[in-house]
Amino acid sequence: MKEIEIDFGGITNDNLEQLRIINSTSLPVSYPDGFYKDVVAAKDESLNKFAYHNGFVIGAICCRIQKDGDASSNSSGSSKIYIMTLGVLPSYRGRNVGTRLVQSVIDYAITSEDCKKMGIGEIILHVQINNHDAIKFYERLDFERGEVVENYYKRIDPPDCYILRKKL
Amino acid sequence: MRDLEGFTQTQHLILELKPNLKVNWLAFALGKHVKGDLKGAVDIIDIFLSTLEEGSTDLQKNYETSELALYKNSIIAESGRWNEALDHLIECQKKDIIVDYFSWLKMCGFYQLQLDSFDEAKTTFNKLFERGSTDDYSVHTGYMLAILKIGGDLSKRMMKAKGARALPSLLVLTDAQKTTLKDEYKNQLLVQYPKSAAIMRIIMMLLDIESKEWTDKIQSYIQTNLKRGVPSLGDDLSALFLCCCPDNGNEYYIAQDPVDVKSHKAFRSISNIVDGIIDSLEGNSTFPNDDEIQPPSTLLWAWFLRSTLYEFAAEYREAVHFIDKCIDQTPTGVDLYELKGRLLKKAGDIHAAAECLDKGRELDKQDRYINNMTTKYLLQGDREEEALEKMALFTRHESDPEQNIFDMQVTWYELELAACYGRKKMFGKCLRSYVSVEKHFEDIHEDQFDFHAYCIRKVTLRAYVDVLRWEDSIWGQDTYVRAAEGIIKTYLHLHDEPTKNSEDNEIDYSSMTAAERKRAKAIARKIKLKNEKKVLEEAKRRDADDAKTKSESKKSVKDEDPDGLELLNKCHLDEAKKYAGTLVKNAPNHLNTWLCQYDVSIRRDKALMALRALFQASHLSNQSKVMHHELFKRIIDFHENVKLAEGSHPAVVEVFNFEKAALLGSSSKSLHEFVLEWYEHAKANPLTALGLRVEISKAMLRYKVRSPMDASNLIIENGLNVRDATLNNCVEALKVLKSIEESDDRVTEFAALARNMYYLSSNL
Repeated sequence: MKEIEIDFGGITNDNLEQLRIINSTSLPVSYPDGFYKDVVAAKDESLNKFAYHNGFVIGAICCRIQKDGDASSNSSGSSKIYIMTLGVLPSYRGRNVGTRLVQSVIDYAITSEDCKKMGIGEIILHVQINNHDAIKFYERLDFERGEVVENYYKRIDPPDCYILRKKL
Repeated sequence: MRDLEGFTQTQHLILELKPNLKVNWLAFALGKHVKGDLKGAVDIIDIFLSTLEEGSTDLQKNYETSELALYKNSIIAESGRWNEALDHLIECQKKDIIVDYFSWLKMCGFYQLQLDSFDEAKTTFNKLFERGSTDDYSVHTGYMLAILKIGGDLSKRMMKAKGARALPSLLVLTDAQKTTLKDEYKNQLLVQYPKSAAIMRIIMMLLDIESKEWTDKIQSYIQTNLKRGVPSLGDDLSALFLCCCPDNGNEYYIAQDPVDVKSHKAFRSISNIVDGIIDSLEGNSTFPNDDEIQPPSTLLWAWFLRSTLYEFAAEYREAVHFIDKCIDQTPTGVDLYELKGRLLKKAGDIHAAAECLDKGRELDKQDRYINNMTTKYLLQGDREEEALEKMALFTRHESDPEQNIFDMQVTWYELELAACYGRKKMFGKCLRSYVSVEKHFEDIHEDQFDFHAYCIRKVTLRAYVDVLRWEDSIWGQDTYVRAAEGIIKTYLHLHDEPTKNSEDNEIDYSSMTAAERKRAKAIARKIKLKNEKKVLEEAKRRDADDAKTKSESKKSVKDEDPDGLELLNKCHLDEAKKYAGTLVKNAPNHLNTWLCQYDVSIRRDKALMALRALFQASHLSNQSKVMHHELFKRIIDFHENVKLAEGSHPAVVEVFNFEKAALLGSSSKSLHEFVLEWYEHAKANPLTALGLRVEISKAMLRYKVRSPMDASNLIIENGLNVRDATLNNCVEALKVLKSIEESDDRVTEFAALARNMYYLSSNL
């Protein structure tokens, strides 16, 4: 199917409900209010953004920075970007929207000064082991399948997941 | 106010004392103009101009000189001296003093039409197109009038039309006229200005609906706008549902009633075209006859358009089916919830509608419009506290939200709130809300004092005269009229049922005399006031800490009498009479004005005034060729119940009886014959409004006109394929039908039809 035009936009308290809708139509688990509060509080459009098409919100990605080990070590490769949620409305899938959302975060991680200062070395995320579509999706973007984390999920089956990584 | 004679004399005196001040001359001329002495006003301006020295700034090209010249010109035009006005305009242009060239061109074109100089008019309107007015429909109307060589009063009336009404949608044109205009528009204007939406739409108005060319152009127009994603496309296309006016076969009105829409050829064609587009988009994501792959939003807007078309036809189930498809595909679209909410409301469930709208509101908390719509639906669902919470999300943070709503003159909220309180029988608060609207209008009326000195100094005289005339007419404006009608209805209700107020429902008044009742009410009021005072003091103690941080401590007008007790205590009938009087004076062309005047007059035992009101209402009714059921009801009521006061002068009695009979149409007709005549009229006109059918039916039963079977058939015979088949009218109709003993399958069938259309209503 043909790629559609998209624009990016920030997530605020006033449009937060749209994020809930995107997540509920795309993800098997529901996220607590605390998650949404943190996304808004982060106020970081580079890591938390909507994808708009013709004025409608059709997708969203939410990431956070994860610092490894002691906070003092700033050597390159010690911090990661963790993708918490990625979702696109079902009717708009297959049009490169999800890819472009992830790619924008990858580009940010590689080119931005802030990321260089923080020493962002890789992007990681968790994927349920039976979610083959998602695994293929990320592999197309040069993510590698890493180790299995058993019983990561509490309420869905299978409860295990893979860690997917992309070194920058 | 408006002591025009006095004003002019005073200004004359001032001018004689200080003739060197320009403002004195202008004020004097203004006085003469508004008083009606048009020639005098022009003379004063001429004399002023002759006192100026050569090289004075008031003779050179600047805003003030230009405005004065155009003002003088507008006075000449007002007196109908078109030739003089046109010559004056040309002279001004030669002297090169005009700054507002747009107005100059418009006035010039208008005069040329009046003088039948059609070629010159065409050139003038063309110049307006060249300057960029290609989407100004009044300019297009002028252009078309010039081409068709239509001048005089008809052209004057056509040029007054507002919005997107252009000549072909106002006047019934002959085929020859349409062809002339079509050639002009397609071959000249469309070529010169290919992007103008107005030109496209006018061409669509000129084409024959049955022709392939029309279908193709409409399809192309729809497809372009679906790609762009225009939510109002349905409303835009509805401008094509033109029907001939019942009272004037030469003019059109736009079909509003679902029955008129459904039977209109344009509606049917458009629905078919849209169905075809949807099939094609669902099948292979392209428009019919096109290869370009469309994004999902195009299909979304196509479904949305189909939904709005079903809304026009009052087919709410189908409409909701399509909007649900939209929401399924794109649950993040705020516009979608607005349409669905409106459909749910129309289908009979206001609470579901409010919930739906609230979902939309949550998606974009910065969108004030959707917040206001949610508030409106909450008020219509009698949930005024929640409504206020929603309004408070957008009011200024420092002050009390109710106070802010009053300061911002949010009249739509006040009207809905008042209606809500009225339904809940909280009449004090209801009156208070309606009276707030009146207070706003008084403020708007007072505002004109601010304009006087400023406008005369800045020489914005055309605008100032328009404002003065507009201020005179505000008491007939829709918002005020709604408030006045609400107040009248409330006071009359209180007059009829003085104890039906939710605040005094503990004491039984019916067994007391009037004096005892008054005393008991006063005691109840005192107790209530004491309780309220206690609550207020407690609130004050709580607010004592906050009071320090509040910067605005002034007590506003609105805080006085929060429960409207003072308003409740006024004499009900006198207040109703006062407001009815305002309506009669300022809104004499509204039917409701006279119905209210009737209602007030019969309670005041003023039979002649009541009769006069009915005559005025009948006159309006005859002009529009539609008998409204509320008028019919009152004519019957009058004949049955209203009597002249005893001891009236015999001449009065004679006139009264004569005119009373004349109300029925002729002096020899009986009430029985009147009802029979309307029964036959309704039979002969299958589209007769449901409301009127119900009233005629009630009258038939009451006066034993024909059989009860005939009465019930009158309501049932055309099902809901009649005008005015609103939910309320269906409920009334079913009530009447159930009271007729010969209830049969057809009544059940009618009920089923109503329940199918208003499928979410719990009242059927």
